[in-house]
Amino acid sequence: MTVTIFLILYFFITLVEMAIPYLVKPTIVFGVSVPEKKMRDPRLLKFKRRYSLTVLATSLVLFIGLLVWGIQGNSTEETLILITTAAPFALLFVSLACYVYFHAKTTQLKREEKWGEGVKQLQITDLSVRSRDEMLPWYLFALPMLVTLGIIAYTIVHYQQLPNQIPTHWGPNGQPDAFTEKNPFSAISSPIMLFIMQVMFLVINETTKRSGIKLSATSTEASRVRQLTLRKYTSWFMFLTSILITMLFSFLQLMTVHENLLSEVMMLLIPFAFLLILLLGSIVFAVKVGKAGADKWVQSGDGVGDFDEDQYWKGGLFYFNKNDPSIFVEKRFGVGWTLNFANPIGYFITFGPILLILIVTYFT
Amino acid sequence: MIIQIEPQSDVAIYKQITNQLIEGIARGHLRHGDSLPSVRAFAADLGVNMHTVNKSYHELEKRGIIKIVPKSGAVIEAQTKLLQGSPHAKRIQHELKTVIAEALVLGMKTEQLEQELAMIMEDLKHNKQ
Repeated sequence: MTVTIFLILYFFITLVEMAIPYLVKPTIVFGVSVPEKKMRDPRLLKFKRRYSLTVLATSLVLFIGLLVWGIQGNSTEETLILITTAAPFALLFVSLACYVYFHAKTTQLKREEKWGEGVKQLQITDLSVRSRDEMLPWYLFALPMLVTLGIIAYTIVHYQQLPNQIPTHWGPNGQPDAFTEKNPFSAISSPIMLFIMQVMFLVINETTKRSGIKLSATSTEASRVRQLTLRKYTSWFMFLTSILITMLFSFLQLMTVHENLLSEVMMLLIPFAFLLILLLGSIVFAVKVGKAGADKWVQSGDGVGDFDEDQYWKGGLFYFNKNDPSIFVEKRFGVGWTLNFANPIGYFITFGPILLILIVTYFT
Repeated sequence: MIIQIEPQSDVAIYKQITNQLIEGIARGHLRHGDSLPSVRAFAADLGVNMHTVNKSYHELEKRGIIKIVPKSGAVIEAQTKLLQGSPHAKRIQHELKTVIAEALVLGMKTEQLEQELAMIMEDLKHNKQ
C-alpha cells in the first residue's frame, strides 16, 4: 500500500511540476511579467520546454535509482518509508532550483531587451465584474459543520461504549497504530480538529471572495475569464475537500465508537479513495483554470500595457504589496493562490488553524 | 463599466477615478440608485490603496453626486434640476470660467468654443463608449 500511494503521488507531482509553465497566465513566464507581444517569444518557449524536460528527466532518474535499489532487496520497512518521503521532496527541490534558474534567465532577457519600457502602463477594473463572480456562498461551507456537531453529540451519548484507548493515528494499512488515554477531551479531539478545518475553509472562501479580481488592461476578456474560473473552481474544490474531510473524519470517529463497523478492506479503501478523489480534483482544477481564456490573450496592445507588478513579487514567488487590500492573489508560478505577505491578516488565517490543531494534538 | 487608471500620470489616482465615475454617470453607464462597489472591493480589484478609493468617494459625495450610506455603501444620487446660484452651480461656473479663460488666452474663438461644447455634449449623450 505504501508503495502504491508513493507511486501515485510521485507521478502526480512529476506531471504537475512539468505542466506548471503551461498552466500559468501566458503573460507571466517563470514569475516575470512579459508584454503580450513577447509571450510566444521562441526563447521563452524554449525555457518552458527545458524546464519541463529537466523535471521529467530528474523524475525518471530518481525513479530508476529507486527501482534498482528496491530490486537489490536491501529495503527494510523503515528505509522504505524514509525513501518514499524523501523522493517527492527531492523532485520538488530540483523543480524549485530549475525555476530559480529560468526566473533569472527571463529577468535578464526582459532587462537586456528593455521589454515593456516606454509603454503607458494602465490598471483596470470593471465595475460589473463582481456580479459575475460565482464563488460559493458561506453557508454551504457551514453545512458540514452541522455534521461535526452531530458526531460530537453522538460521541458524547455513546461515551461509555468507547474503548479505553482512543486511536489518534492510522497507518498505511488503514488500521490505528497510535492511541491515547480515554477522557472526555480526547474522545472528541478529532471532530474538534475537523471543525477547525471546516472553519478554515469557510474563512478562506470568504477572504478569497473579498480579494481583488485582477483584470488585464490589454487582455481584459481573457483575464476576466481566467480570474472568474479560478475563483469559481477554487471555491468548488475547497467545498469538495471540506466534504471529503468531513466524511473521512466521521468514518474514523464512528469506527472508534463502534469498533467493528467496517471491514479491514473498507478501512484500507476509504482513505485511498479520499486521496484519489483529491488528486483527480486538483488535476481537473488545474486544467480548467489553465485553459480558461487561454485562447483570448491578444497580442497587440501597442503603446499601452499592464502595470508592471514585478516590483511586488520577490523572486516571482512572494507577493508584498502594502497598497493592495487583497489577502490572497493568484500565484505567479503554479495554479492557485498565494498570500499577500504585506497583509498580516493573511498569516493569521493560514497559520492560525495549524497552530490550533497543534494545540489540540498537544493536549490530547 | 470599465475604470482605467494610469498610475504614472500627473493626475492623482483618486482624481482619475472621480473623473471616470462622473463621466460614466453622464453617459448613463451608471444610473441613480445604482450602488458603487465597496471601497475594499474596488481598491482590491483595481490594485490601489483603499484610502485612494475612499478619497474619491468622499469627493463625489461633497459634489453631491453620490451619497455614502453607512453599511449599504455609496449610492448614486437622483439629480433634479440644478438651481442657479446653488453651491454646486456656482462651483461648475467657477470651474468653467477657469477653462474658458485659458482657452481665450490661447486664442480660441467663441464659435470654436461653442462648437467644442456641442461636440462634447453630443459625445456624452449619444456615444456609449
